[in-house]
Amino acid sequence: MTPGPALTPDAIADRLRDAVAAGSPAGDGPAVLDTEITQDIVTVTVAPPAWVAALACARDELDCDFFDWLTGVDELDAGVAVLAHVYSLAGRHHLMLRTLLGGEPRLGTATGIYRGAGWHERETHEMFGVWFDGHPRLDPLLLPDGYGKVPLRKDFVLAARRDRDWPGAKEPGEQEAARGRRRPPPAIHDGWPAS
Amino acid sequence: MAGLVTADLPARSRGVIGLLEENCTVCMLCARECPDWCIYIESHKEPVPSVQDASPPGTGGPAAGGPAGRGRQRVRNALDRFAIDFSLCMYCGICIEVCPYDALFWSPEFSYAEPDLRDLTHERGRLGTWMQTVPPPPAHDPGAPAPKELLAAQAADGRPGTGAGARPGTDSGPRDRPASGS
Amino acid sequence: MDLPSPRAGRDLSAAAVPGTPGPGSSVPGGMASDTVVLDTGRGYALWVFDAGLACCAVECAAALSRVNGSAGPGPVQANVFIVAGTVTDKLAPLVLQAYQQVPDPKWVLSFGACSNSGGPYWDSYCVVKGVDQIMPVDVYVPGCPPRPEALLHGLDVLAQRHPVAGALAGRP
Repeated sequence: MTPGPALTPDAIADRLRDAVAAGSPAGDGPAVLDTEITQDIVTVTVAPPAWVAALACARDELDCDFFDWLTGVDELDAGVAVLAHVYSLAGRHHLMLRTLLGGEPRLGTATGIYRGAGWHERETHEMFGVWFDGHPRLDPLLLPDGYGKVPLRKDFVLAARRDRDWPGAKEPGEQEAARGRRRPPPAIHDGWPAS
Repeated sequence: MAGLVTADLPARSRGVIGLLEENCTVCMLCARECPDWCIYIESHKEPVPSVQDASPPGTGGPAAGGPAGRGRQRVRNALDRFAIDFSLCMYCGICIEVCPYDALFWSPEFSYAEPDLRDLTHERGRLGTWMQTVPPPPAHDPGAPAPKELLAAQAADGRPGTGAGARPGTDSGPRDRPASGS
Repeated sequence: MDLPSPRAGRDLSAAAVPGTPGPGSSVPGGMASDTVVLDTGRGYALWVFDAGLACCAVECAAALSRVNGSAGPGPVQANVFIVAGTVTDKLAPLVLQAYQQVPDPKWVLSFGACSNSGGPYWDSYCVVKGVDQIMPVDVYVPGCPPRPEALLHGLDVLAQRHPVAGALAGRP
């Protein structure tokens, strides 16, 4: 691997955008939807049909030969986002690829480009319910067989925290936590099912 | 293997948590910050008689505590129950760090295994007895800067070694400490 | 193979208090005042199987390596079944299977917060909240993780409460 000159984040974004645009069929709408640069990490949001092509461009055009991780984020009404982080060992630059899946979340598999994405996609499938087309074996990885639910979605209720009274709910000197005025324990956001 | 199991423990070892009950004002911060929800506190409010309650109302003038000069009745929190469930505790120390009144302390004791899970919830009596095993804070490393309390006391008094900063029972603080450029 | 002949006798040790059944003892019928100890030539040793599932396994291994230098036994040779680490829902059936392979008399020692009650993962969607949800536990050792010496103390407590374990451990 011959190390080339270090690429700036803007250069990375431009090269990826050009490569993806060149490879995607015209008429399908813009492939690259958004580019965000935060602390030298480029996050490029692509349309779901261009996901696999974008990963191929990252590996071939930008020398991103190290596949770090792939995971999902539940964006509530917007759908489920899938993120992949790749890195170039020669150029020492990071790249985050992102796509947003509305409705029934289905996406092409990354295992054809990066073999190591296999287990990451299995975990994303069982935790977020994303289906990866073409994945050789999308079986549950960490959850017990027959679990049936998708735990990392925001509407999944963590029963243990819901069913247990928070010891900090009482005010100092209060005998019992006042109903209705109960302050929620930390890490439970607004809209949590009221217990 | 029979008998007491001892170990050569380093300073600040985290074995069990002791409660200095007289420092606790039932602010509930430890119970709220505990990530495991394993601190159980129950309390009630108690009126604290004000100084002027000593003289019966209506006698004397306002200075003597007549109705017009009666001190505002103060209320304090009285601790009923303070329990730590050590079967859940992950010994992170957040409760000890967050306590504003230094009522919780680390103790290096580790020999409190129980046959019954419920006995691993230590109530305030047992937490108080753990205080007897809390070691004094370890000395600062040689060459380390002086403790902030000492520096603050010196700044407040203008004279080293006197005033509130000096440790009780010693003549002057700095003489006991290794020179650190002061 | 030359084995010493089995010796059947009465346990006259002070540990066997007449008339008090050991709580949670897995010996059928509890401990009566006459305890028969069969010396089957294993020597006085409490054989311990460490089901090291997570971080607590490291402390457990540290404790056991100090006490016994050789590799530990499998479940079939063990007396004490130690559960050290988080019991996930996926692994729970296998932990139970290993426990069932341990022959009687057996005792279970739960090591660390995760196997005591779920510990820091008490609220997780895929963690068993304490190994006592799936098997009877005789001693709970608190800690996250407990010191290696805490395991030795826990085995001490086990030997105190269960005279047969105590006899195997060589307690007078």
